[in-house]
Amino acid sequence: MRNTQTQGEERKRFFIDKLRPLLDSVSQSRRLYVPKPVGERYTFALYDPATAPSPQFNNIRAFTTAKEFLFPLRERVTASPQRGDPDRVEPFAVFGFKDCDLRSMAVLDQVFLEEDFRDPFYEGRRRSMFVIASDCFDPAESCCCTLFGGEPYPGSGFDLSLSQIKDGFIVEIGSEAGARFVADNAVLFVQASETQLAEQSDRRAQTRQRLEAINAPYEVGSAVNDLLEKSGDTDAFDVEAQECVECQACTRICPTCHCFYLYDAVREDYFAKMKMWDSCLRMSYAAVAGGANPRKAVGDRIRHRLMHKFSFFFDRYGIGMCIGCGRCIEGDTHGMDIRVVLKKLDGERKGSNRAEVVS
Amino acid sequence: MSRGLYEPMPAEIVDILVESPTIRSYVVIPQEPIKFATGQFVELSLPGVGEAPFTPSSSPADTEKMEITIMKAGHVTEMLHDCEKGQKVGIRGPYGNGYPVDDFAGKEVYIIGGGVGLAPIRSLFLTLIARIGDFKSVVCRFGARTPDDLIYKEALHGSWQQIEGVDMKLTVDQADGDWRGNVGVVTTICKKDDVNVENAVAVICGPPIMMKFATLSMLDFGFKDSQIYLSMEKNMSCGFGKCGHCMIGKYYVCKDGPVFSYDQIKGYRNIWD
Repeated sequence: MRNTQTQGEERKRFFIDKLRPLLDSVSQSRRLYVPKPVGERYTFALYDPATAPSPQFNNIRAFTTAKEFLFPLRERVTASPQRGDPDRVEPFAVFGFKDCDLRSMAVLDQVFLEEDFRDPFYEGRRRSMFVIASDCFDPAESCCCTLFGGEPYPGSGFDLSLSQIKDGFIVEIGSEAGARFVADNAVLFVQASETQLAEQSDRRAQTRQRLEAINAPYEVGSAVNDLLEKSGDTDAFDVEAQECVECQACTRICPTCHCFYLYDAVREDYFAKMKMWDSCLRMSYAAVAGGANPRKAVGDRIRHRLMHKFSFFFDRYGIGMCIGCGRCIEGDTHGMDIRVVLKKLDGERKGSNRAEVVS
Repeated sequence: MSRGLYEPMPAEIVDILVESPTIRSYVVIPQEPIKFATGQFVELSLPGVGEAPFTPSSSPADTEKMEITIMKAGHVTEMLHDCEKGQKVGIRGPYGNGYPVDDFAGKEVYIIGGGVGLAPIRSLFLTLIARIGDFKSVVCRFGARTPDDLIYKEALHGSWQQIEGVDMKLTVDQADGDWRGNVGVVTTICKKDDVNVENAVAVICGPPIMMKFATLSMLDFGFKDSQIYLSMEKNMSCGFGKCGHCMIGKYYVCKDGPVFSYDQIKGYRNIWD
């Protein structure tokens, strides 16, 4: 599942007036997860055409991350004695990922599909996933994709992408699997008109403007990886630590945090090795059996997390790890806003640059 | 990797050697030979209990069996200490980068080891003496808390002392009645005149506090940061740079280490903790 189109190539764009026939068709060949409202936000739920109410278009990212589909909270990775092949993954589809979700998967791909050590469980699910992404047009105050190189509409990494317009939806093809689906279901699609495409562009531009307005106060003067790399000695992280309650919510809800913990479990007739999400903010996360722990202090753990997020990952893989979805800002128990932290680092840097000039 | 990423190779403990009150060496025969480079590590697992990272203490040239020296330190190692011959275990790996032995050719190799840190050093030592002519000299400065805590006693007090080209000195923090050697931490037997730093490398492995002060000593002797090799003990869990527990700054100790030159990691916080 990769976008195989080159940037210069014009994507074919179609129009559909209703969601349901498209989703019904997708769900015939695979399990389909669709947005399900929960309060002001969305999660994903299995779509059953027989009983489902009219499917909803989520106007903002769900709080559920793509990570949960690819890298579940807990899974068995080995069994002794062996119990045959690991669970076979049946093809499935998700409707409603936004550009931030797509970019979060590109981050996880770097880690779990790394050439020398590919994670077979992640890879199995990734290959079985059909992605129907969609435009975002109601960003929250926490949304900051545009600060981190993202857009409120899908760029790449989808099979199909939907943009809502007044009378229906524009459908774009992003992969060979997507093109095949459209060819197989040609009756559902008509060519999008110039007016419809203009409306799509307008709506996208409006959403982008809103995001830029939301995030204007947080613009920083330099690349964030550079900013963090040179901020190892700041006390900004220790200041944040004074309020942090170590709930680890920011790491759980983060679509690109991927730390895990391996542990052994005794089952009735076999031993299992389990893989479970972990958090670098946990006190004993880096501790060794002898008792040493390089990150006992909360401030050191916050420093490590943010330096990994913004600097170390970039250094290793060449892409930023934060995709600006803003989930950590909404989910943080004490209200830490990474944009504010980055802004502070930026201010400190400018201050120190000035000091250098003066001295 | 032909086996699943997380799948250990079945192995059996065929012999157990008591090295000290808290340290034992396990001779393990894997189902198929496991090739490794000296200084690389493996994850040894006890089914149903857990797994932990260890650098084999045997020579990589010995492909049939692997020796792993284990100090009782946590849950998994305590359970391993209760095991007897015949125990089935699992081995994943090898992982990471070992000692750049070829880069040591023509140089004096100055090795400082302490406690169970002698385990990786034994593997390195066996590798070096197999081609001792390639190195200008091998200088060993080993220490332990007490004479009883010193591991590989027979070799240290006997055969290794006799090897031509090897200069070995031992020390203990606290002596007992029979100890005739030096008393003091390991840096007390490291002397600037031992080595010509212009053409030497230092290799350090031991408890964190010892590694810190041995590194400071070597810097004091005039070694450059890039000439000091450290075998870092961190919480290596997955072994392949994903789970995150062992990170020192941008490095995954399991993948980029566990052997680092000091210049690689000196800029990061709390590396000795």
